[in-house]
Amino acid sequence: MLPNGPIKKILVYIDGSEECIAAAQYAIVLAKSFGARLTALYIVNISLLEELVKARIFIKIEEMDYQQDLEQDGKRYLHYISEMARSKGVEIRTELVKGIVNKEVVKKIDELEIDLLVMGELEQIHSRSETFHDEAEITFRKAGCSVLVVKDPERVERIFELME
Amino acid sequence: MRISDLLNDAMITVSFEDTTKENVIRTLIDLASGSGRIQDKETALKAVMERERLMSTGLEKGVAVPHAKTGTVKDLVLTLGISREGVDFASADGKPSHLFFLLLAPVAAAAPNIQALAQIARLTGNPEFCEMLKKAQSPKEALEIIRKAEK
Repeated sequence: MLPNGPIKKILVYIDGSEECIAAAQYAIVLAKSFGARLTALYIVNISLLEELVKARIFIKIEEMDYQQDLEQDGKRYLHYISEMARSKGVEIRTELVKGIVNKEVVKKIDELEIDLLVMGELEQIHSRSETFHDEAEITFRKAGCSVLVVKDPERVERIFELME
Repeated sequence: MRISDLLNDAMITVSFEDTTKENVIRTLIDLASGSGRIQDKETALKAVMERERLMSTGLEKGVAVPHAKTGTVKDLVLTLGISREGVDFASADGKPSHLFFLLLAPVAAAAPNIQALAQIARLTGNPEFCEMLKKAQSPKEALEIIRKAEK
């Protein structure tokens, strides 16, 4: 453990993808190695729901229903990640908020004075327009701290499993 | 998310002859069922029709996006139907619908479901894309138009 290391506060962004599990595992390993405080953040992406209501694909009742689904998903993921952290003796704080993903992550980085944002591998960008819609991509660019994009989930899992 | 990743030639029909909303939905479900992606067609149909009863998913400019969450699929299932003549789908602008994107999602897959619907909304928000897709002569051509639009 490096109690006076350069990384004291880590934020891991959880989006419900397989990639975010690897990100959480790596964040737990780093938090333990650096003695850093770890926060996991899940954001209910209400901007997409609003986009669908505006496009008339969703009606209001559906928007609410899907919002609840996303909240449930978020709680499930955060609980799972909390258990992973506890299994390695790492304290973790979890937060579930609603909003526009990139704005909420940037806000949380400022609010908690985060040193390092950890996130799962970014999706491949196929078109210019995707760079405007992919929340992970936007978050990566807008984050006001260093960002670690976790790759090679199999290797990360091995590191996580080997950590005592 | 790219919707072209959810489609293949067998999931697209460009020769729609159905004239009623229920038949359109039934045909689109049959397309997905043919590839073994739906366990129970009637359950899927019921879920989509229940959503349609709340309000038609017939949007403006000839596009309809019938959709539902259902336990009868394990992954997102998307099918596309194209009708040159158009079908009365009780659309928002009262005009016939020509492009039908049917999306079925498992109950516990809210995020990918929402992302796929948002991608359909973005693509069909482009009138040029809709016009080109409407004129597709084959499923292969339709898929190519979607792939190009998503590049």
